[in-house]
Amino acid sequence: MLMTRNYFGFIPGYALFWGVFVIALLLFAYRIRQLLQYMFLGQKETGYNSWGKWITTTFAYVFSQLCQLKNFRFKKDRAPLGHALMAWGFFVFVLFYFFFFILAEGFGLAGLEKTNFFYYFAWVMDFMAVLIIIGAGWGLIRRFIIRPARLKGGQTIEALIILLSVFTHPFAFLFNQATVIAMGEAPAGLGHTLLPPFSSWLSHLFTGSALTVIQNWHIAFFWTDWLTVLLVLVYIPYSRYLHVIASIFNGIFEPRLPKGALKPIDLEHAEFLGIPTIDKLTWKQNLDLYACVVCGNCQEQCPAYITGKPLNPKKVIQDLKQQLLKAGPELVKAKAKGEPAPQNINVTLAGKVILEDEIWACTTCGACDTTCPVWVKHIDKIVDLRRNLVEQSILPETAKATLQSIERRGHPWRGTTLNRTDWAKGMNIKTLAEDPKVDILYWVGCTEALDERGIKIAQSFAKLMQQAGVNFGILGTEESCCGDPARRLGDEMTYQAQAQKNIEVLKGYNVKKIVTGCPHCYNTIKNEYPQFEGNFEVIHHTELIGDLLKQGKIKIGKGDYGSITFHDPCYLGRHNDIYRQPREILKELTCTKMVEMEKNRKRAFCCGGGGGRLWLEERIGQRISENRIDQVIKTKAQLVATACPYCLQMFEDAIKTKQAQDTVKVKDIAELIAESSAK
Amino acid sequence: MNMIVCIKQVLDPEAPLSSFKIDPATNTMVPVTSVPFVISPFDEQAVEAALKIKDAKGGKITVISLGVNLLRDVVKKPLSLGADELILLEDPAFIGGDSWSTAYALAAAIKKVGQFDLIFCGRQAADSDSGQVGACIAEILGIPQVSVAKKVEAIDGKVKVDKVTTDGYEVVEVPTPALITVSNELGEVRFATFKGTMASKKKEPIIWKPADIGAEPAKIGAAGRRIKTRKLFQPVRDSKCEIIGGETDEDKAANLAKKLVEVKLI
Ligand SMILES: Cc1cc2nc3c(=O)[nH]c(=O)nc-3n(C[C@H](O)[C@H](O)[C@H](O)COP(=O)(O)OP(=O)(O)OC[C@H]3O[C@@H](n4cnc5c(N)ncnc54)[C@H](O)[C@@H]3O)c2cc1C
Ligand code: SF4
Ligand code: SF4
Repeated sequence: MLMTRNYFGFIPGYALFWGVFVIALLLFAYRIRQLLQYMFLGQKETGYNSWGKWITTTFAYVFSQLCQLKNFRFKKDRAPLGHALMAWGFFVFVLFYFFFFILAEGFGLAGLEKTNFFYYFAWVMDFMAVLIIIGAGWGLIRRFIIRPARLKGGQTIEALIILLSVFTHPFAFLFNQATVIAMGEAPAGLGHTLLPPFSSWLSHLFTGSALTVIQNWHIAFFWTDWLTVLLVLVYIPYSRYLHVIASIFNGIFEPRLPKGALKPIDLEHAEFLGIPTIDKLTWKQNLDLYACVVCGNCQEQCPAYITGKPLNPKKVIQDLKQQLLKAGPELVKAKAKGEPAPQNINVTLAGKVILEDEIWACTTCGACDTTCPVWVKHIDKIVDLRRNLVEQSILPETAKATLQSIERRGHPWRGTTLNRTDWAKGMNIKTLAEDPKVDILYWVGCTEALDERGIKIAQSFAKLMQQAGVNFGILGTEESCCGDPARRLGDEMTYQAQAQKNIEVLKGYNVKKIVTGCPHCYNTIKNEYPQFEGNFEVIHHTELIGDLLKQGKIKIGKGDYGSITFHDPCYLGRHNDIYRQPREILKELTCTKMVEMEKNRKRAFCCGGGGGRLWLEERIGQRISENRIDQVIKTKAQLVATACPYCLQMFEDAIKTKQAQDTVKVKDIAELIAESSAK
Repeated sequence: MNMIVCIKQVLDPEAPLSSFKIDPATNTMVPVTSVPFVISPFDEQAVEAALKIKDAKGGKITVISLGVNLLRDVVKKPLSLGADELILLEDPAFIGGDSWSTAYALAAAIKKVGQFDLIFCGRQAADSDSGQVGACIAEILGIPQVSVAKKVEAIDGKVKVDKVTTDGYEVVEVPTPALITVSNELGEVRFATFKGTMASKKKEPIIWKPADIGAEPAKIGAAGRRIKTRKLFQPVRDSKCEIIGGETDEDKAANLAKKLVEVKLI
């Protein structure tokens, strides 16, 4: 029976159907228009490219729910599965309502319901409805009864409306179907004996009732069903349901930069640096804000948040979003009049909307970006906020000193007693100035050249290369800081000056291939120098050591370290996907057992030294490095191996301050292999 | 307020000792490429002192530097911080001077600039550490001089200077024009902003030769030198570490005290 053929008093059913539908669509469109206006207050975006190609990828990711399921293993409450069930149900429901409500009821294509297509669809929907009830029920229990920490503060009316609507809607649907079946209409009466089990089971409730009574029930359930659907439709753009739409576009327009790279600023033409006010975000950065679903995954992974710093990546995104929605109306008005936005509304972000302590706490570890199901980028915004602070000369004293040191001396290690070639004394290592005809340039990096502990890595790695007969050279005094700390502390000017200087030197020697032991140099030269026409093949020392081992050019001896664990440096792992090589090398060490920390690979916990934090004081909360050393100690490993001079230094300090020297040691992979092959 | 700041380009005083080499035959430093040139840190503080007054009272800051091969990225730094003009006394004839001949040239340049209320110098240059140029300039120009300032405030026609002493500071007032040498106690210097740096890139320094400032050739550079360097050398510091033992902590302390008396340290 088509509802829309009924009359309610003198109002025809279809008028009512379309009436509420159009009202809902208008409310929906009004809000979407508003959101788009706010979004396009934003600046030009240059990060994405060939977006057309990403449509399929994004949809595949969303339909398979990999966006959620990638986090499945790590969530004790199995929330990603709950979401996947709801999402799959949602997709199927959207199709169902399109065919059998809009086309069949709205456009009167009654024939659609008399087909096998409808019969089979009804079967699918029957199960979907039940799965959604389970998924949403689980969501309600989780959010309002179990309350995991990452959802703290998320017990809002909004969350309740969303979950309740998702939860009750399948009931309305099932009862609606049950009444149809009870009336003997499709999917009944199509000649199939097996009817969708749940709705036909519910239809028994109506056995023995008069047809008119069932019809009245049907009317009630049909409208409940349709109105819940419309309620959800309207509520989408007014709530964080918005992610249903925004996340898909966010995936399609995701900046296609290498993962570890930050976007350059065109310093010649820039009128401002970073994001001084909300209208200076790019439209894509605004889209990020719309896409965020406040799931708290990023918060749960953030080392700064975990150790009690004021930074919470979820809150950063939400605070920016609130500011966009708050300032949006006035900004749109001002833009239409061609006037500058009023300053009391378009407030400075850094220091007002996002506090300085939040901004400087980030290690740019990338845990947040990696775990986010809807492609939200946090690091770009945090660094943009820093860029703005640096422009105003508001930065921690130690950051100032570091940046000045890079700018003046070409290295961040102010006060070092070493110069760039001291570590190589007596090792017979040539510089490119002495002999430019080498197969590979060893880019030593400031920390491995100028820090007392760091030089041991350089010495070990150089020894290994010499043993294997690799024809390599160094730049010596011509090497200058790659610029990573400057860029990540927000000083783009100093960064670009360093990049240009180095690229010039490298091109001058016609360098083609570079190996480095520092993941920060690796990331910068490999992923960021191409922005300034510096294209070099860059490998990390773990890659080269791995190859040399495979080729039998270095022999590994005994490595009696007992049990050993590996700490993934963020800029090697998460930012550059090198997880396998270091582990393969460590496996070669005989007499040594390899154990993993709970947080490893993609979900490794930062050492606390990235993002320029190595040079900043860590005054609030627990030290990130000490937290990580606690994780090492938990595995009972006697040694933690790493492959980054920053991590090494952070852990050396943490082990000392924890007075854990007798429990655990830290070494770089190059040191371990060099020691063992000397035995 | 018209201000002039004299800045000197020096080899990074914080570079590790091992980077410096001395040629004992000529008593000069062997040029090294690995140590960058910087503005002498006390001079940066002199610039900061001038900028603070400009912030409070407005005015014009002219920066003067004497030398050869002055790196533009280095000497233009004050422009990116807010100084208005940069004059370089750049000519081979200026090479090899001493404090007096340097001050003579700088004073000649200052006279050519003409209008000034305050001249700032660093308390001493971070390379040769003589601390004389400022005083010599004041002498040549016949104006009062206050040395080792940690705070400078302009109050109509006068300046109030907090001057560092061994056990505190002394507050003095001088009428302008005057010369002030600035010490590190002034505190942190500001950080160049992006806008300032970009603006300074477009600004070109004014270059004056000895003839432009009317300097007598015999009084500048090596020709004007009155000081002769007898010996330039790197002192060898030898440190020996001795651990003082003892049965108990009290014994150790007593032994340490005895030892210190023995070597006449207490
Ligand atoms: C290119 C160059 C080559 C030199 N070669 C030699 C050499 O071969 N042999 C040798 O003995 N000395 C040499 N000198 C040192 C120099 O000639 C003087 O000794 C020095 O410039 C002034 O004395 P001071 O360093 O003792 O300055 P101080 O009296 O310690 O300086 C005090 C303040 O005076 C101002 N000031 C000093 N010098 C300058 C300057 N050049 N420009 C602007 N302001 C300044 C600064 O504000 C400084 O903080 C050279 C200097 C330069 C720049
Ligand atoms: S990059 Fe790391 S430290 Fe920074 S907000 Fe994300 S998770 Fe936190
Ligand atoms: S930014 Fe991403 S991970 Fe963080 S709360 Fe929003 S949707 Fe979740």
